[in-house]
Amino acid sequence: MSRVIEIPPAFDDRSFEQFAASFSAGPITDRTVFDARPAQWASPYGLVAMLTAGQAIKEAGGPRPDFTVPAAEDVRRYWARTGFFAHAAQLFELHGRVPKLKPDDHSDVLLDVTPVRASEDVHAVVGKIQAGAARILTHELGIDAKATMGFAMALSEACQNIVEHAGTGGWVAVHAYTFRKRLGRRVVVIAVSDGGVGFRRSLEATQARRFGDRWGDGAALEAAVIQNVSRFRDPGRGQGIAGIKRYLGRWSGKLSIRSGTARIAIVPEWDDEPPMTEHLAPFPGAQLQIVIPAQEPSGG
Amino acid sequence: MTQTIRVEQLLRETVQSPYCDLVTRPTGRAVRSSIQQRLTTAQAALTLLDFSEVGLVDFSCADEVIAKLLLEPVSDTAIVLQGLREEQLEAIEHVLEHHDLAALVRDPERGAARIVGRVSPDLRTAFFTLQQHGPATAESLARLTGWAVDQAEGVLATLVRFRLVLRGAAGFMVPLASEPLSP
Repeated sequence: MSRVIEIPPAFDDRSFEQFAASFSAGPITDRTVFDARPAQWASPYGLVAMLTAGQAIKEAGGPRPDFTVPAAEDVRRYWARTGFFAHAAQLFELHGRVPKLKPDDHSDVLLDVTPVRASEDVHAVVGKIQAGAARILTHELGIDAKATMGFAMALSEACQNIVEHAGTGGWVAVHAYTFRKRLGRRVVVIAVSDGGVGFRRSLEATQARRFGDRWGDGAALEAAVIQNVSRFRDPGRGQGIAGIKRYLGRWSGKLSIRSGTARIAIVPEWDDEPPMTEHLAPFPGAQLQIVIPAQEPSGG
Repeated sequence: MTQTIRVEQLLRETVQSPYCDLVTRPTGRAVRSSIQQRLTTAQAALTLLDFSEVGLVDFSCADEVIAKLLLEPVSDTAIVLQGLREEQLEAIEHVLEHHDLAALVRDPERGAARIVGRVSPDLRTAFFTLQQHGPATAESLARLTGWAVDQAEGVLATLVRFRLVLRGAAGFMVPLASEPLSP
């Protein structure tokens, strides 16, 4: 009998915890079915997380999981436009009707779900994103046109974390949508996820001793995100996340990274997520999210 | 002799990509290696690294290309970066500050070089003085700044070591210096 992994009806970085708990409720080599029938919506974070789970099962040598597609036609169409199903078909046995749509360059999908395995993939992602990002950032978010470069830079550095540290491939997606509950404004969201070694294992050889008993997923994230530490001894390393933070600071953006059982966040004033959350359900690799909100019109 | 290296051209030769963005560390390493080869071959006194046709420059690539080029010099050439857009310069300044380094950038309007990154006030003063007054010896710099000669000698030696000024027959001079502002 298959173990059911429930896909939250509204799948974003917060409801991800339900998904992670469901995913980790049994061995990764269990026969599983990912049940997306109730899904009404998924953020880019949700989409790349599902692929990461499928990838982790495949790399662990588990049986090919089943995946029941969303019951709602518009949700299926949206997921198809993001390129999700094209990649999911390589990892899951899909059940249900999947619309045959090409990713739509003119929708709110700035970057469809894209695999990142090597440096060349980062070049392609950065090259592809710039025109769409300029359109959305300037016209919808009220961000200076010059900031497009900073946005692409943040995206590049986020993707490079996979290439440099994960030890396996990952996924990236960038969408624009309205953050109704938390913010009431348009946002652009970059989601990057991999099923690799995660921050703790990546930094263990160089950092574990320094942290002593405190060493764990949370301490590893603290070292990387707050102290800009890298596993490489090269003094030039660690500037990627520092650069992302600098860019986000300018535009009231939010950065959150989840790895293993912990999540760290650089939280702007519009959000109430705790800076560090530990003892979460384990999940493979690392999941990074960058949120850039529409700028509030200046008064006067 | 002055050599100009078009970074975008090197990028296209080095990385098989339709894009002209300087992103990722492997790309940066490959481009730096090509630049170093050209520096070694040409042995020019001054090298202009031209970024005019380059798109995005990310932090990792800026670190590999610019910071490591300055940290691991392969020749005595002074390097001036030109054709940089504001956002590209911002990424480069970020990595220079991270390493406590400084570089020369050609001002697009004046055509003169200026220092970006992290330098001590004394180095900055000496640089401005040479730029304003033209080539100078340690003695003349000391006179112009009111420093002791050994202080001026020390500052000039550091500027030369960082390849921010050139040592010529007429004394120490700033690359791309226009005519002195005072007699």
